[in-house]
Amino acid sequence: MEKYMNVDKRMTMEDAISKYVNDGESFVYANCLTGMPLALTHELIRSGKKNLMLFDQASIEEIDMLIEARVIDRLVTTFNFRVGGKRTTSPLERALKERRLKIEELSNLTMLSMMKAGAMGYSFIPVLSGIKMADFVKRSNYLGNQRFGEVKDPFTGKKQLVVKGYNPDFAFMHVQRADTAGNGQMWGAMFNSKWAALAANKIILTCEKIVDAEVIKSSPHLTIAPSFKVCAVIECPWGAHPSELAGFYDNDFPFRALYFATLGSSASIKTWMDEWIYGIKDRGEYLAHYVEKLGTESLDVLRAKPRLSVPADYGNANSYEWDESGYNRSLDMNMSQFVEFLDKKGVLLQS
Amino acid sequence: MTIKYTIDELIVYRAAQEIRDGEMVVIGQGIGMAAGVLARSTHAPNSVILSEAGIVGIDPFKVPLHIADMSAFRGYTYGCDMMDAFTCIANQGYVDVAFLGVGQMDKYGNVNSVYIGNPDNFEMRLSGAGGAPEFAAYSMRTVFTMSGGQFVKKLDYLTSPGYLEGGNSRYKAGMPAGSGPAAVITQDGVFKFDQITKEIFLSSVHPGKDVEKIKSKIPWDLKVAVNLEVTKLPSEKDLEFIRTFAPFITMGRKLQIECNINRIFKMLTKASEQKEN
Repeated sequence: MEKYMNVDKRMTMEDAISKYVNDGESFVYANCLTGMPLALTHELIRSGKKNLMLFDQASIEEIDMLIEARVIDRLVTTFNFRVGGKRTTSPLERALKERRLKIEELSNLTMLSMMKAGAMGYSFIPVLSGIKMADFVKRSNYLGNQRFGEVKDPFTGKKQLVVKGYNPDFAFMHVQRADTAGNGQMWGAMFNSKWAALAANKIILTCEKIVDAEVIKSSPHLTIAPSFKVCAVIECPWGAHPSELAGFYDNDFPFRALYFATLGSSASIKTWMDEWIYGIKDRGEYLAHYVEKLGTESLDVLRAKPRLSVPADYGNANSYEWDESGYNRSLDMNMSQFVEFLDKKGVLLQS
Repeated sequence: MTIKYTIDELIVYRAAQEIRDGEMVVIGQGIGMAAGVLARSTHAPNSVILSEAGIVGIDPFKVPLHIADMSAFRGYTYGCDMMDAFTCIANQGYVDVAFLGVGQMDKYGNVNSVYIGNPDNFEMRLSGAGGAPEFAAYSMRTVFTMSGGQFVKKLDYLTSPGYLEGGNSRYKAGMPAGSGPAAVITQDGVFKFDQITKEIFLSSVHPGKDVEKIKSKIPWDLKVAVNLEVTKLPSEKDLEFIRTFAPFITMGRKLQIECNINRIFKMLTKASEQKEN
């Protein structure tokens, strides 16, 4: 595990990826379906990094994009949203057929358990044994026997299905807010976020808003990315578009449909990526292009109306050891009486 | 009085009848969600809807796009995460019913939702397993709604265990006693499972559907209930609810695509007109 200081880690997305991502590494999305770090994904595609291995719990659009852009060549997943019937193919299907991509199929729980074991520093963890006859357990691919095992439960003597723990090199994560040190706070459907983020050796974090450290301290129950694991933090409004993010925006179905419509051939998805990824500098330009092409109204209808959570009161009596007049209630002494007391009891040593 | 309904409305209504008041219900996809919300608004107001995204006690005001779609509801009673949903909730027996989709199903309710064809040289990779395997294994009852799936003699890939080889084989394999597939609701009728053999049989046919035609679509000699029923139709009130809550479910897949294309076309035209002005 890598350890990062509680210091200002703001940088550009481009710098974060060039500094912390290397060809051939493994990474995990610490979001699932909702609040997806798609601005980061686009930047990764622009960066030209390659031969990455991806752990992605469930995908609506990112897996197909990363495959077409030749960023990933190994994939561990449970779900990749597929549009259309038998007559069409998805980028994932084409990549598997053409042997450009290796895949390991899992279920949601078994995959997340691999992250949880890795996060806790265990080499394996029990999972629900009832599914052991399923083909995703029996049939392995490039990870071979490094996925499932069976152990004898030392207490009941029964056979227990287990999975191996994994620590991806880095996690991509998008949250609502963070401070400059990268203490990231998230709310809404928490899905896989905690265990995926903690399993990774480091987290590259984007957030809708950078906030004062005092905001974080007033609501620590919302912190999901602790700064000691975060190597870079980038403020990026609309960083999860077209997925939704509680408190900020709804999902953008029409925009997604335009993307889905291009998945049938490499040429058409390439055209989409040229327009929305390669031909774009950053999320600011992406939004400007969106407004130009689809109109301001299309974006405005997605904006969330506020619905505030009632704040948790973290208050206490503020009973300090020494009150404003210098009196200590528990000792019934002031400071000079205290020193006199220590001296009298003979515990004060002399230099 | 004549009642006009769509086939998807009938499926939603019939699926809702599978939920009893006070039950905890796992729901992912559209038809299941419409059924769950209909049940809560009618005969099962104390049932609790949850998804493996860690959201428990949701009350959607429209059909969520996916299992973690935060834009379809306001608030919920318990925010945990996916690890908790499968272990502390499903593994502890709290899930009464799970609604799941089907790619392929065999006569014992085993399901494939990953590969069609030989997995090493497949014809199609469906969306994938997701949370289905553990929910199918550990929920007390599973209810399947089938729109595009098919019945097969042998699955190309086993994703979610049903009754395995029938009889007691499911429970011998370690799944909770008494658990298993309860109903399969298709465009033709409702299928249930024999209490002893665990083999699927036709329990009711939707109005106007022919038993022989249904049997001909199934690649084994399908058993039919002695007291075969005709599926009960939703009331005007149920239909009004479904149409209000889920117009895109009401219309079915084909019309969904047509309406979405129109919507996007209008959006693009409007934006380009504004640009010119």
